[in-house]
Amino acid sequence: MRLNLQTALGGAAAVFIAAQFFQPAVANPPSDPGASFAAVVKPPAHAAAVLDRACRDCHSNDTAWPWYSRVAPVSWMVARDVRQGRARLNFSEWNLYGPEMSRLRIKAVCGAAAKGDMPPKYYTPMHPQARLKEPDVAALCGM
Amino acid sequence: MFSPLPDTVPAKSAGPTEARVQLGRMLYYDTRLSRSQTVSCNSCHDLEKYGVDGAATSLGFKQQHGSRNSPTVYNAAVHFVQFWDGRAPDVEAQAKGPVMNPVEMAMPDEAAVVAVLDSMPEYVAAFQKAFPDDKKPVTFDNMATAIGTFERGLLTPSRWDKYLKGDTTALSAQEQAGFHEFAAAGCGTCHAGALLGGNLYQRIGMMKPYPDASDPGRFNITRIESDRMVFKVPSLRNVAKTAPYFHNGKVGTLDQAVTQMADYQLDKELTPAQVSSIVTFLNALTGDLPAQYIQKPELPKSTAKTPKPSEG
Repeated sequence: MRLNLQTALGGAAAVFIAAQFFQPAVANPPSDPGASFAAVVKPPAHAAAVLDRACRDCHSNDTAWPWYSRVAPVSWMVARDVRQGRARLNFSEWNLYGPEMSRLRIKAVCGAAAKGDMPPKYYTPMHPQARLKEPDVAALCGM
Repeated sequence: MFSPLPDTVPAKSAGPTEARVQLGRMLYYDTRLSRSQTVSCNSCHDLEKYGVDGAATSLGFKQQHGSRNSPTVYNAAVHFVQFWDGRAPDVEAQAKGPVMNPVEMAMPDEAAVVAVLDSMPEYVAAFQKAFPDDKKPVTFDNMATAIGTFERGLLTPSRWDKYLKGDTTALSAQEQAGFHEFAAAGCGTCHAGALLGGNLYQRIGMMKPYPDASDPGRFNITRIESDRMVFKVPSLRNVAKTAPYFHNGKVGTLDQAVTQMADYQLDKELTPAQVSSIVTFLNALTGDLPAQYIQKPELPKSTAKTPKPSEG
Protein backbone atom coordinates (compact mmCIF):
# COMPACT_ATOMS: atom_id res chain seq x y z
CA MET A 1 0.00 0.00 0.00
CA ARG A 2 2.77 2.35 1.03
CA LEU A 3 4.63 1.47 -2.12
CA ASN A 4 1.52 2.18 -4.20
CA LEU A 5 1.07 5.62 -2.66
CA GLN A 6 4.69 6.46 -3.32
CA THR A 7 4.36 5.30 -6.90
CA ALA A 8 1.22 7.36 -7.34
CA LEU A 9 2.78 10.47 -5.87
CA GLY A 10 5.91 9.96 -7.90
CA GLY A 11 3.83 9.47 -11.02
CA ALA A 12 1.83 12.62 -10.39
CA ALA A 13 5.01 14.59 -9.82
CA ALA A 14 6.48 13.23 -13.04
CA VAL A 15 3.36 14.20 -14.98
CA PHE A 16 3.44 17.65 -13.37
CA ILE A 17 7.09 18.15 -14.26
CA ALA A 18 6.56 16.81 -17.78
CA ALA A 19 3.61 19.15 -18.21
CA GLN A 20 5.91 22.11 -17.62
CA PHE A 21 7.57 21.37 -20.93
CA PHE A 22 4.30 22.08 -22.72
CA GLN A 23 3.84 25.78 -22.16
CA PRO A 24 1.45 27.83 -24.22
CA ALA A 25 2.82 30.89 -25.97
CA VAL A 26 2.29 33.85 -23.68
CA ALA A 27 4.14 36.46 -25.69
CA ASN A 28 1.95 39.51 -26.15
CA PRO A 29 1.30 40.28 -29.81
CA PRO A 30 2.66 43.64 -30.94
CA SER A 31 0.05 46.36 -31.10
CA ASP A 32 -0.19 49.79 -32.55
CA PRO A 33 -0.97 52.36 -29.83
CA GLY A 34 -2.96 54.36 -32.40
CA ALA A 35 -5.32 51.39 -32.83
CA SER A 36 -6.24 51.13 -29.15
CA PHE A 37 -9.61 51.90 -27.61
CA ALA A 38 -7.99 54.75 -25.68
CA ALA A 39 -6.70 56.33 -28.89
CA VAL A 40 -9.79 55.73 -31.03
CA VAL A 41 -12.64 56.37 -28.57
CA LYS A 42 -10.85 58.59 -26.02
CA PRO A 43 -12.89 57.44 -22.99
CA PRO A 44 -13.15 59.58 -19.84
CA ALA A 45 -10.24 59.11 -17.39
CA HIS A 46 -12.14 57.07 -14.77
CA ALA A 47 -13.46 54.63 -17.39
CA ALA A 48 -10.00 54.30 -18.93
CA ALA A 49 -8.52 53.52 -15.52
CA VAL A 50 -11.18 50.87 -14.80
CA LEU A 51 -10.59 49.20 -18.16
CA ASP A 52 -6.88 49.18 -17.50
CA ARG A 53 -7.03 47.54 -14.09
CA ALA A 54 -10.06 45.26 -14.51
CA CYS A 55 -10.23 44.26 -18.19
CA ARG A 56 -6.81 44.70 -19.77
CA ASP A 57 -5.25 41.34 -18.90
CA CYS A 58 -7.75 39.34 -20.96
CA HIS A 59 -9.12 41.92 -23.38
CA SER A 60 -6.01 43.55 -24.78
CA ASN A 61 -2.63 42.64 -26.20
CA ASP A 62 -0.98 44.15 -23.08
CA THR A 63 -1.56 41.21 -20.74
CA ALA A 64 0.41 41.20 -17.49
CA TRP A 65 0.93 37.45 -17.11
CA PRO A 66 0.76 36.34 -13.45
CA TRP A 67 3.30 33.84 -12.06
CA TYR A 68 0.79 30.97 -12.11
CA SER A 69 0.29 31.50 -15.82
CA ARG A 70 3.74 29.92 -16.16
CA VAL A 71 2.73 26.75 -14.33
CA ALA A 72 0.93 23.97 -16.17
CA PRO A 73 -1.89 23.03 -16.19
CA VAL A 74 -3.14 26.43 -14.99
CA SER A 75 -1.09 28.07 -17.75
CA TRP A 76 -3.16 26.26 -20.37
CA MET A 77 -6.40 27.56 -18.88
CA VAL A 78 -5.09 31.11 -18.53
CA ALA A 79 -3.78 31.12 -22.10
CA ARG A 80 -7.09 29.87 -23.41
CA ASP A 81 -8.99 32.48 -21.42
CA VAL A 82 -6.82 35.28 -22.75
CA ARG A 83 -7.09 34.01 -26.31
CA GLN A 84 -10.86 33.82 -26.01
CA GLY A 85 -11.04 37.18 -24.26
CA ARG A 86 -9.07 38.86 -27.01
CA ALA A 87 -11.16 37.18 -29.68
CA ARG A 88 -14.37 38.52 -28.20
CA LEU A 89 -13.22 42.02 -27.36
CA ASN A 90 -9.78 43.50 -27.81
CA PHE A 91 -9.11 47.01 -26.57
CA SER A 92 -5.79 46.98 -28.43
CA GLU A 93 -7.41 46.47 -31.84
CA TRP A 94 -10.29 48.92 -31.77
CA ASN A 95 -9.41 50.01 -35.31
CA LEU A 96 -10.98 46.76 -36.52
CA TYR A 97 -14.41 47.96 -35.45
CA GLY A 98 -16.59 50.29 -37.49
CA PRO A 99 -18.65 52.99 -35.74
CA GLU A 100 -21.71 50.75 -35.22
CA MET A 101 -19.68 47.83 -33.83
CA SER A 102 -17.70 50.21 -31.62
CA ARG A 103 -20.96 51.43 -30.06
CA LEU A 104 -22.27 47.87 -29.67
CA ARG A 105 -19.11 46.68 -27.92
CA ILE A 106 -19.13 49.65 -25.55
CA LYS A 107 -22.75 48.82 -24.77
CA ALA A 108 -21.79 45.19 -24.19
CA VAL A 109 -19.01 46.24 -21.80
CA CYS A 110 -21.52 48.22 -19.77
CA GLY A 111 -24.02 45.34 -19.82
CA ALA A 112 -21.50 42.71 -18.73
CA ALA A 113 -20.18 44.93 -15.93
CA ALA A 114 -23.64 45.94 -14.72
CA LYS A 115 -24.92 42.34 -14.65
CA GLY A 116 -21.77 41.15 -12.92
CA ASP A 117 -20.90 38.77 -15.78
CA MET A 118 -17.48 40.40 -16.04
CA PRO A 119 -14.88 40.11 -14.69
CA PRO A 120 -15.40 36.35 -14.15
CA LYS A 121 -16.03 35.26 -10.55
CA TYR A 122 -13.03 32.92 -10.54
CA TYR A 123 -10.72 35.73 -11.64
CA THR A 124 -11.23 38.32 -8.92
CA PRO A 125 -9.85 36.36 -5.91
CA MET A 126 -6.41 36.37 -7.55
CA HIS A 127 -6.96 39.85 -9.03
CA PRO A 128 -8.74 41.91 -6.37
CA GLN A 129 -7.97 45.08 -8.30
CA ALA A 130 -10.36 43.84 -10.99
CA ARG A 131 -13.39 44.01 -8.68
CA LEU A 132 -15.85 46.61 -9.90
CA LYS A 133 -17.53 48.97 -7.46
CA GLU A 134 -20.66 50.86 -8.36
CA PRO A 135 -18.89 54.04 -9.51
CA ASP A 136 -16.66 51.87 -11.72
CA VAL A 137 -19.68 50.32 -13.42
CA ALA A 138 -21.22 53.77 -13.79
CA ALA A 139 -18.00 54.96 -15.45
CA LEU A 140 -18.05 52.07 -17.91
CA CYS A 141 -21.71 52.70 -18.69
CA GLY A 142 -21.03 56.39 -19.22
CA MET A 143 -18.52 55.87 -22.03
CA MET B 1 -27.24 44.24 -30.25
CA PHE B 2 -29.44 43.93 -33.33
CA SER B 3 -31.36 46.57 -35.18
CA PRO B 4 -33.63 46.74 -38.21
CA LEU B 5 -32.35 47.64 -41.65
CA PRO B 6 -32.65 51.39 -42.28
CA ASP B 7 -35.56 52.29 -44.59
CA THR B 8 -33.27 54.34 -46.80
CA VAL B 9 -29.60 55.13 -47.13
CA PRO B 10 -28.99 58.83 -47.76
CA ALA B 11 -27.13 59.87 -50.91
CA LYS B 12 -23.46 60.62 -50.45
CA SER B 13 -23.59 64.05 -52.02
CA ALA B 14 -26.21 66.66 -52.86
CA GLY B 15 -27.79 66.65 -56.29
CA PRO B 16 -30.70 65.20 -58.26
CA THR B 17 -30.79 61.78 -56.62
CA GLU B 18 -33.57 60.32 -58.78
CA ALA B 19 -31.78 61.21 -62.01
CA ARG B 20 -28.60 59.62 -60.62
CA VAL B 21 -30.46 56.47 -59.62
CA GLN B 22 -31.87 56.14 -63.13
CA LEU B 23 -28.48 56.69 -64.73
CA GLY B 24 -26.81 54.39 -62.23
CA ARG B 25 -29.29 51.64 -62.98
CA MET B 26 -28.45 51.83 -66.71
CA LEU B 27 -24.73 51.80 -66.00
CA TYR B 28 -25.10 48.88 -63.61
CA TYR B 29 -26.54 46.73 -66.39
CA ASP B 30 -24.30 47.99 -69.20
CA THR B 31 -21.74 45.49 -70.47
CA ARG B 32 -20.12 48.20 -72.63
CA LEU B 33 -18.31 49.42 -69.53
CA SER B 34 -16.03 46.38 -69.97
CA ARG B 35 -13.25 45.86 -72.46
CA SER B 36 -14.88 42.80 -74.03
CA GLN B 37 -18.30 44.49 -73.74
CA THR B 38 -19.65 41.28 -72.21
CA VAL B 39 -19.33 42.01 -68.46
CA SER B 40 -21.45 44.42 -66.43
CA CYS B 41 -21.79 44.96 -62.68
CA ASN B 42 -24.79 42.67 -62.93
CA SER B 43 -22.74 39.80 -64.37
CA CYS B 44 -21.14 39.04 -61.01
CA HIS B 45 -23.63 40.85 -58.76
CA ASP B 46 -26.85 39.58 -60.34
CA LEU B 47 -29.73 41.56 -58.90
CA GLU B 48 -32.20 38.76 -59.63
CA LYS B 49 -29.99 36.34 -57.68
CA TYR B 50 -29.59 38.28 -54.45
CA GLY B 51 -26.68 40.22 -55.86
CA VAL B 52 -24.30 37.32 -56.46
CA ASP B 53 -23.40 34.90 -59.26
CA GLY B 54 -23.17 31.72 -57.21
CA ALA B 55 -19.56 31.10 -58.30
CA ALA B 56 -16.67 30.61 -55.87
CA THR B 57 -14.85 33.35 -57.78
CA SER B 58 -16.30 35.25 -60.71
CA LEU B 59 -15.38 35.01 -64.34
CA GLY B 60 -14.08 38.22 -65.89
CA PHE B 61 -12.02 39.37 -68.85
CA LYS B 62 -10.68 36.53 -71.03
CA GLN B 63 -12.24 33.91 -68.77
CA GLN B 64 -10.02 34.93 -65.89
CA HIS B 65 -11.16 34.37 -62.33
CA GLY B 66 -11.02 36.96 -59.61
CA SER B 67 -9.26 35.95 -56.42
CA ARG B 68 -12.17 36.38 -54.02
CA ASN B 69 -15.85 35.52 -53.86
CA SER B 70 -18.07 38.30 -55.26
CA PRO B 71 -20.01 39.68 -52.31
CA THR B 72 -23.64 40.62 -52.65
CA VAL B 73 -24.45 44.18 -53.62
CA TYR B 74 -27.67 44.12 -51.58
CA ASN B 75 -27.38 46.24 -48.44
CA ALA B 76 -23.74 46.86 -49.36
CA ALA B 77 -24.22 50.61 -48.96
CA VAL B 78 -24.80 50.03 -45.23
CA HIS B 79 -21.43 48.30 -44.77
CA PHE B 80 -18.82 50.42 -42.98
CA VAL B 81 -16.31 49.85 -45.78
CA GLN B 82 -16.35 48.07 -49.15
CA PHE B 83 -14.58 44.99 -50.56
CA TRP B 84 -13.47 42.00 -48.46
CA ASP B 85 -10.43 44.00 -47.36
CA GLY B 86 -12.11 47.37 -46.92
CA ARG B 87 -10.00 49.13 -49.51
CA ALA B 88 -12.84 51.44 -50.60
CA PRO B 89 -14.76 53.58 -48.13
CA ASP B 90 -18.17 53.51 -49.84
CA VAL B 91 -20.12 52.08 -52.78
CA GLU B 92 -19.25 55.07 -54.95
CA ALA B 93 -15.53 54.39 -54.55
CA GLN B 94 -16.09 50.65 -54.86
CA ALA B 95 -17.83 50.99 -58.22
CA LYS B 96 -14.61 52.18 -59.84
CA GLY B 97 -12.63 49.08 -58.90
CA PRO B 98 -14.01 46.30 -61.08
CA VAL B 99 -14.26 48.49 -64.19
CA MET B 100 -10.48 48.89 -64.17
CA ASN B 101 -9.49 45.53 -62.69
CA PRO B 102 -7.60 43.64 -65.42
CA VAL B 103 -9.27 40.32 -64.56
CA GLU B 104 -12.73 41.83 -64.23
CA MET B 105 -14.04 44.43 -66.67
CA ALA B 106 -10.49 45.31 -67.70
CA MET B 107 -10.94 48.80 -69.13
CA PRO B 108 -7.48 50.19 -69.91
CA ASP B 109 -8.06 53.64 -68.38
CA GLU B 110 -10.69 56.15 -67.35
CA ALA B 111 -10.56 57.88 -70.72
CA ALA B 112 -11.63 54.67 -72.44
CA VAL B 113 -14.72 54.48 -70.23
CA VAL B 114 -15.57 58.11 -70.87
CA ALA B 115 -15.11 57.54 -74.64
CA VAL B 116 -17.73 54.75 -74.54
CA LEU B 117 -20.22 56.89 -72.61
CA ASP B 118 -19.54 60.02 -74.67
CA SER B 119 -20.31 58.13 -77.88
CA MET B 120 -23.99 57.75 -76.95
CA PRO B 121 -26.11 60.92 -76.89
CA GLU B 122 -28.65 59.26 -74.58
CA TYR B 123 -25.94 58.73 -71.95
CA VAL B 124 -24.63 62.27 -72.39
CA ALA B 125 -28.14 63.62 -71.77
CA ALA B 126 -28.62 61.37 -68.74
CA PHE B 127 -25.31 62.54 -67.24
CA GLN B 128 -26.31 66.15 -67.85
CA LYS B 129 -29.56 65.57 -66.01
CA ALA B 130 -27.83 63.79 -63.13
CA PHE B 131 -24.95 66.27 -62.79
CA PRO B 132 -26.44 69.59 -63.96
CA ASP B 133 -23.82 71.75 -62.27
CA ASP B 134 -20.87 70.07 -63.97
CA LYS B 135 -19.24 71.65 -66.99
CA LYS B 136 -18.35 68.20 -68.26
CA PRO B 137 -20.85 65.79 -66.73
CA VAL B 138 -19.58 62.62 -68.40
CA THR B 139 -16.68 61.59 -66.19
CA PHE B 140 -15.45 58.37 -64.62
CA ASP B 141 -16.12 59.79 -61.15
CA ASN B 142 -19.68 60.72 -62.03
CA MET B 143 -20.22 57.23 -63.47
CA ALA B 144 -19.18 55.79 -60.11
CA THR B 145 -21.32 58.28 -58.20
CA ALA B 146 -24.38 57.33 -60.27
CA ILE B 147 -23.82 53.58 -59.79
CA GLY B 148 -23.25 54.11 -56.07
CA THR B 149 -26.39 56.23 -55.75
CA PHE B 150 -28.37 53.42 -57.40
CA GLU B 151 -26.78 50.86 -55.07
CA ARG B 152 -27.85 52.84 -52.01
CA GLY B 153 -31.41 51.82 -52.87
CA LEU B 154 -30.63 48.08 -52.96
CA LEU B 155 -32.06 47.18 -49.55
CA THR B 156 -33.77 43.92 -48.62
CA PRO B 157 -35.97 44.22 -45.52
CA SER B 158 -37.00 40.82 -44.15
CA ARG B 159 -39.16 39.10 -41.55
CA TRP B 160 -36.26 39.60 -39.13
CA ASP B 161 -36.86 43.36 -39.33
CA LYS B 162 -40.56 42.92 -38.56
CA TYR B 163 -39.57 40.77 -35.60
CA LEU B 164 -37.14 43.39 -34.33
CA LYS B 165 -39.81 46.04 -34.67
CA GLY B 166 -42.05 44.10 -32.32
CA ASP B 167 -44.00 41.62 -34.45
CA THR B 168 -43.11 38.44 -32.54
CA THR B 169 -45.12 36.32 -34.97
CA ALA B 170 -42.83 37.31 -37.85
CA LEU B 171 -40.46 34.47 -36.95
CA SER B 172 -41.59 30.90 -36.32
CA ALA B 173 -40.86 29.25 -32.97
CA GLN B 174 -38.08 27.25 -34.68
CA GLU B 175 -36.52 30.40 -36.10
CA GLN B 176 -36.63 32.10 -32.72
CA ALA B 177 -35.03 29.05 -31.13
CA GLY B 178 -32.40 29.25 -33.86
CA PHE B 179 -31.72 32.85 -32.97
CA HIS B 180 -31.13 31.88 -29.33
CA GLU B 181 -28.78 29.12 -30.46
CA PHE B 182 -26.97 31.66 -32.68
CA ALA B 183 -26.59 34.07 -29.77
CA ALA B 184 -25.59 31.37 -27.25
CA ALA B 185 -22.88 30.05 -29.56
CA GLY B 186 -21.36 33.53 -29.75
CA CYS B 187 -22.03 34.24 -33.45
CA GLY B 188 -23.46 37.62 -32.47
CA THR B 189 -20.07 38.79 -31.23
CA CYS B 190 -19.23 39.69 -34.82
CA HIS B 191 -22.53 39.26 -36.63
CA ALA B 192 -24.51 41.99 -34.88
CA GLY B 193 -26.03 45.36 -35.69
CA ALA B 194 -28.33 46.20 -38.58
CA LEU B 195 -26.63 43.83 -41.01
CA LEU B 196 -25.45 41.10 -38.63
CA GLY B 197 -21.94 41.91 -39.85
CA GLY B 198 -20.56 44.44 -42.28
CA ASN B 199 -19.45 46.67 -39.43
CA LEU B 200 -16.03 45.31 -38.42
CA TYR B 201 -12.91 43.53 -39.56
CA GLN B 202 -11.86 40.28 -37.98
CA ARG B 203 -9.13 37.70 -38.34
CA ILE B 204 -10.28 34.48 -39.98
CA GLY B 205 -8.87 31.75 -37.77
CA MET B 206 -9.13 33.73 -34.57
CA MET B 207 -9.07 30.65 -32.33
CA LYS B 208 -7.69 28.04 -34.75
CA PRO B 209 -5.48 28.86 -37.73
CA TYR B 210 -7.44 28.98 -40.97
CA PRO B 211 -5.88 26.39 -43.30
CA ASP B 212 -5.97 28.47 -46.51
CA ALA B 213 -3.47 31.27 -45.86
CA SER B 214 -2.97 32.07 -49.55
CA ASP B 215 -4.89 35.34 -49.25
CA PRO B 216 -3.63 37.51 -46.37
CA GLY B 217 -6.63 39.84 -46.63
CA ARG B 218 -6.27 43.34 -45.30
CA PHE B 219 -2.52 42.86 -44.87
CA ASN B 220 -2.22 43.45 -48.63
CA ILE B 221 -3.59 46.95 -48.11
CA THR B 222 -1.99 48.05 -44.86
CA ARG B 223 1.18 45.88 -44.78
CA ILE B 224 0.71 45.77 -41.01
CA GLU B 225 1.51 42.31 -39.64
CA SER B 226 -1.50 42.28 -37.31
CA ASP B 227 -3.76 42.68 -40.37
CA ARG B 228 -2.70 39.32 -41.79
CA MET B 229 -5.78 37.16 -42.50
CA VAL B 230 -8.02 40.03 -41.46
CA PHE B 231 -11.16 40.47 -43.58
CA LYS B 232 -14.37 42.42 -43.30
CA VAL B 233 -16.97 40.33 -41.48
CA PRO B 234 -19.71 39.75 -44.04
CA SER B 235 -23.35 40.57 -43.38
CA LEU B 236 -25.63 37.59 -42.79
CA ARG B 237 -28.61 39.18 -44.53
CA ASN B 238 -29.69 36.95 -47.45
CA VAL B 239 -26.93 34.54 -46.51
CA ALA B 240 -29.07 31.54 -47.46
CA LYS B 241 -29.12 32.89 -51.04
CA THR B 242 -25.49 33.86 -51.41
CA ALA B 243 -23.54 30.58 -51.41
CA PRO B 244 -20.70 29.75 -51.74
CA TYR B 245 -19.19 31.26 -48.61
CA PHE B 246 -16.10 32.94 -47.16
CA HIS B 247 -13.66 35.23 -48.96
CA ASN B 248 -12.40 32.34 -51.05
CA GLY B 249 -15.85 30.95 -51.87
CA LYS B 250 -14.65 27.50 -50.90
CA VAL B 251 -17.52 26.58 -48.62
CA GLY B 252 -20.58 25.32 -50.45
CA THR B 253 -23.30 25.05 -47.83
CA LEU B 254 -24.56 27.09 -44.94
CA ASP B 255 -24.23 24.08 -42.62
CA GLN B 256 -20.53 23.85 -43.42
CA ALA B 257 -20.07 27.60 -43.08
CA VAL B 258 -21.66 27.66 -39.61
CA THR B 259 -19.69 24.60 -38.49
CA GLN B 260 -16.39 26.03 -39.70
CA MET B 261 -16.97 29.51 -38.30
CA ALA B 262 -17.75 28.03 -34.87
CA ASP B 263 -14.57 25.97 -35.08
CA TYR B 264 -12.11 28.61 -36.38
CA GLN B 265 -13.54 31.70 -34.69
CA LEU B 266 -15.06 30.40 -31.48
CA ASP B 267 -13.23 27.11 -30.87
CA LYS B 268 -16.59 25.41 -30.51
CA GLU B 269 -17.73 22.13 -31.91
CA LEU B 270 -21.44 22.53 -32.62
CA THR B 271 -23.69 19.49 -32.76
CA PRO B 272 -25.54 18.86 -36.03
CA ALA B 273 -28.76 19.84 -34.21
CA GLN B 274 -27.27 23.19 -33.15
CA VAL B 275 -26.02 23.86 -36.68
CA SER B 276 -29.38 23.03 -38.16
CA SER B 277 -31.15 25.30 -35.67
CA ILE B 278 -28.81 28.22 -36.45
CA VAL B 279 -29.30 27.66 -40.18
CA THR B 280 -33.06 27.78 -39.65
CA PHE B 281 -32.61 31.22 -38.14
CA LEU B 282 -30.26 32.33 -40.93
CA ASN B 283 -32.92 31.43 -43.48
CA ALA B 284 -35.21 33.98 -41.84
CA LEU B 285 -32.72 36.70 -42.82
CA THR B 286 -33.64 36.37 -46.49
CA GLY B 287 -35.27 39.63 -47.50
CA ASP B 288 -37.50 40.80 -50.32
CA LEU B 289 -35.86 41.93 -53.54
CA PRO B 290 -37.02 45.37 -54.71
CA ALA B 291 -38.52 43.98 -57.95
CA GLN B 292 -39.56 47.34 -59.37
CA TYR B 293 -36.32 49.08 -58.51
CA ILE B 294 -34.09 46.48 -60.14
CA GLN B 295 -35.94 46.19 -63.44
CA LYS B 296 -33.42 46.36 -66.23
CA PRO B 297 -33.96 49.63 -68.10
CA GLU B 298 -33.60 50.12 -71.82
CA LEU B 299 -29.97 50.99 -72.46
CA PRO B 300 -28.76 53.76 -74.79
CA LYS B 301 -28.06 52.54 -78.30
CA SER B 302 -24.48 52.29 -79.51
CA THR B 303 -23.56 54.64 -82.32
CA ALA B 304 -20.96 54.54 -85.07
CA LYS B 305 -18.64 56.35 -82.66
CA THR B 306 -18.96 53.76 -79.89
CA PRO B 307 -15.63 51.91 -79.49
CA LYS B 308 -15.73 48.26 -80.54
CA PRO B 309 -15.17 45.45 -78.00
CA SER B 310 -11.62 44.30 -77.60
CA GLU B 311 -10.50 40.84 -76.60
CA GLY B 312 -6.83 41.72 -76.52
